[in-house]
Amino acid sequence: MKIKIDGNLYEGIPGETLMELAKRNNVEIPNLCHKIGFEGQGRCRLCMVEVNEGRRTKVVSSCVFPIKDGLEVVTNSDKIKKMRKDIILLLLLKTPNNQYIKKLAEEYEVTAPERYEDLTNTEDCILCGLCVKACEKMGTSAISLVNRGTTKKISTPYDDSSKDCIGCGACAEVCPTKAISLEDKNSTRTIWKKEFNLVKCTSCGKYYTTKEALNFINKKLGEESSEHICESCRKKSISKKFKESYKDYASHIK
Amino acid sequence: MSKGLVVSPEKCTGCRTCELACSYSKGDNFNPKDSAVSVMFYDEIGLQIPMMCMQCDEPHCMTVCVVNALTKDEKTGVVNYDREKCIGCKMCVSACPFGNMTYSSRLKRVIKCDMCGGDPQCVKMCGYGAIEYKELDSALDKRKIIANQFKEAFGEGAK
Repeated sequence: MKIKIDGNLYEGIPGETLMELAKRNNVEIPNLCHKIGFEGQGRCRLCMVEVNEGRRTKVVSSCVFPIKDGLEVVTNSDKIKKMRKDIILLLLLKTPNNQYIKKLAEEYEVTAPERYEDLTNTEDCILCGLCVKACEKMGTSAISLVNRGTTKKISTPYDDSSKDCIGCGACAEVCPTKAISLEDKNSTRTIWKKEFNLVKCTSCGKYYTTKEALNFINKKLGEESSEHICESCRKKSISKKFKESYKDYASHIK
Repeated sequence: MSKGLVVSPEKCTGCRTCELACSYSKGDNFNPKDSAVSVMFYDEIGLQIPMMCMQCDEPHCMTVCVVNALTKDEKTGVVNYDREKCIGCKMCVSACPFGNMTYSSRLKRVIKCDMCGGDPQCVKMCGYGAIEYKELDSALDKRKIIANQFKEAFGEGAK
């Protein structure tokens, strides 16, 4: 399968999307809601490209567009550039104080018209849905996109603390705009309005993870581990074992 | 037979150059915190032990990873990490029975030894031959003995 992107020919694998092909070949297509290993969502629309099919050209979201033999793709025509700018402008109006979006707007030379600008707006979420996908992958699905239109947001069921959340923080890690707050304070972790009592390392006393996360691991490994030792203490105890096999070492150097 | 990292603690001087070399190749600065190898010090007997991922045959990290960001290369035996696929849930960090995985929030990635794709920087920079990259034929028996010790000490936890 041969696909032409910006004049260069690439070999496509049947079944993959344009975005996957581009990422595999290091062709830059800007995007906010795509991550390798996740299904395309077509949510941020920043990955718009122009596709030539015979005489017709159309604009598609490359993250959800399956490749076909003989496709001709243009990633940065004037039309596409204009569309991208418009999308970034809308994002900038939604999250005017977010550092990531501000930087993106700067990069694409987008400035918000003054009369629409609301600098008191502290919204950070651009509704890309990556956190929802990450939570889904974990098998917890504690968060989801709720409501529609202007009230659309990401939240737990009924905005309450979710009983399924294990407090791993994957949602906060994949978030491009750092919109999700995960707070570790002494022995508690707060995320999505849920408070977790962190597990204390029996060796050094450091709080290192949540009970729910440990249960998740035990379930995956199919074994019950009652020991609560943090990773650095685990490493220490292993190296101690190592050391013990060098028992006579001290006498050797004396 | 595949190649692996063989550690000789008796040769290690504790200079920690391996940590710096590793952190620079894995991350972007010289910071032992971002290193996949860490040198443990036993001053009472004058011994230093560089510790890194053991590239387990049945890696716990791989089992708990929900997005297949960790994969075992059957040819080289290395457990590889794919940063693009990783979602940062940090389950592998807690699952590793040897504590040889760390997560760097700053770099947004897991720090794990992957033998630098066949060109280990720690080996290159170690001036004393304390970490060697060689065929595991001769070292395998020794490794098995150590593995058995771990099994005794940690029961089923260490496979």
